[in-house]
Amino acid sequence: MSTLIWLHEDALRGDHPVFKAAGEGAEAVFIWDDAYFKSEGYSFKRLVFIYELLAALDITCLQGETAQVLDSYAKGRDIYVPETPNPHFKAIISELRNSHNVTAVPDVPLVIVPDDVDLRRFFRFWNKAKKSALSPSVGPLL
Amino acid sequence: MTSKELIKFTPLKSDNTQDVLSAVRALSPWAEGEASSIRGNMAQMREAVLAIDPTAYGRTRNHLDGAVTQLSPFIRHGALTLDEVRNVAIEKVGPKEAEKFVQQLTWRDYWQRLYEKYPERIWHDVEDYKTGFGPNDYADQMPDDILSAQTGTACINQFLEQLLETGWIHNHVRLYLAAYICHWRRVKWQVGARFFLTHLLDGDPASNNLSWQWVASTFSHKPYFFNLDNVSKYSGPDINTKFNANKEIAGSYEALSERLFPYMEPKR
Ligand SMILES: Cc1cc2nc3c(=O)[nH]c(=O)nc-3n(C[C@H](O)[C@H](O)[C@H](O)COP(=O)(O)OP(=O)(O)OC[C@H]3O[C@@H](n4cnc5c(N)ncnc54)[C@H](O)[C@@H]3O)c2cc1C
Repeated sequence: MSTLIWLHEDALRGDHPVFKAAGEGAEAVFIWDDAYFKSEGYSFKRLVFIYELLAALDITCLQGETAQVLDSYAKGRDIYVPETPNPHFKAIISELRNSHNVTAVPDVPLVIVPDDVDLRRFFRFWNKAKKSALSPSVGPLL
Repeated sequence: MTSKELIKFTPLKSDNTQDVLSAVRALSPWAEGEASSIRGNMAQMREAVLAIDPTAYGRTRNHLDGAVTQLSPFIRHGALTLDEVRNVAIEKVGPKEAEKFVQQLTWRDYWQRLYEKYPERIWHDVEDYKTGFGPNDYADQMPDDILSAQTGTACINQFLEQLLETGWIHNHVRLYLAAYICHWRRVKWQVGARFFLTHLLDGDPASNNLSWQWVASTFSHKPYFFNLDNVSKYSGPDINTKFNANKEIAGSYEALSERLFPYMEPKR
């Protein structure tokens, strides 16, 4: 059975590093989750925009509640997912880990800074990040 | 749920707008409002990437008709990376000339890091308000005249209309609207942030909510506010900045500060 890629709304792109990490033949899915969209307060405009980005991808779209749909569609397959700060998606990822191998794959970073970088105010961060930000890409992390 | 019950669909790759809109309506009939003229079109995105002009950006980005990219909805949804946009900018004009633009890209990176590290800050005050008011002095509901873009202030109505119709507004307009809602109308920043997330195509919990907190002063040293002269300076002739239509926001910063924040401690 092929590996599954769960592409969520933070990573609607066909060359996200998650594709390479998952390997050839992986199946990418997007879950059209009305309950999630409602909880985020999205209006019709946003749904159209997301739909149009999906149309540009080679992806299986499934409508329903994300955690449930993923669990029943993955049927134990390995799952690759783009890393995200979204707490709702993170909770789904940790839930899926109870019954699946799940690998979260970071996107190509803008800057490389130490993990304990000072985040108290933007300009403190900028002072530390500036050099890396003004250098061309380091490419994918994975 | 068994996999037989799963509802599968293939998004239409159609140039016919009406077909696409009908398909989305059929999927999610509950969704409110109309579509925007800004579309999730990858060819248009590519054109906008090619058109990035970091030099003009550095000079004009605060003007409502300045050389900003409008790439935010694509970046928000991961269709385009900050990395790629940065690389294009540096390739075009070199790192020194691209600095202001790259710094703005880095704001997004910064907000995302805060979101990852402190998810609770998205909806909770990071610090106290520095406006002389407490959280309970701010309303929990958005006034109707704001929702319908019929406030007593002409330019604010135009900005609201643009937000409601297109889902994209300039950074400066976001600042004006957030300050108007938070400080003139004394509405909780959370209520304003939620309203923006509903209507912005690029609506992002981190960039949006933390910027609202910056305006509100719960994540900055002082509240952000503006006056009519500032709007006149940065907007073009299409925005109504006549005094009589915008009295509420007219005046010097000192006079407005006294009116908006009568209990604010004077800065030592
Ligand atoms: C109250 C308020 C709410 C905001 N809400 C959002 C939001 O929901 N989503 C969002 O992406 N941005 C938000 N911003 C930040 C900023 O206004 C927009 O990113 C920017 O206006 C988008 O237009 P652009 O693509 O033409 O930006 P450009 O000026 O061309 O910048 C290029 C890209 O850099 C990033 N960027 C630039 N400035 C900022 C910034 N200050 N903060 C974060 N990212 C930035 C964006 O990804 C943007 O697309 C908000 C700002 C304020 C003051």
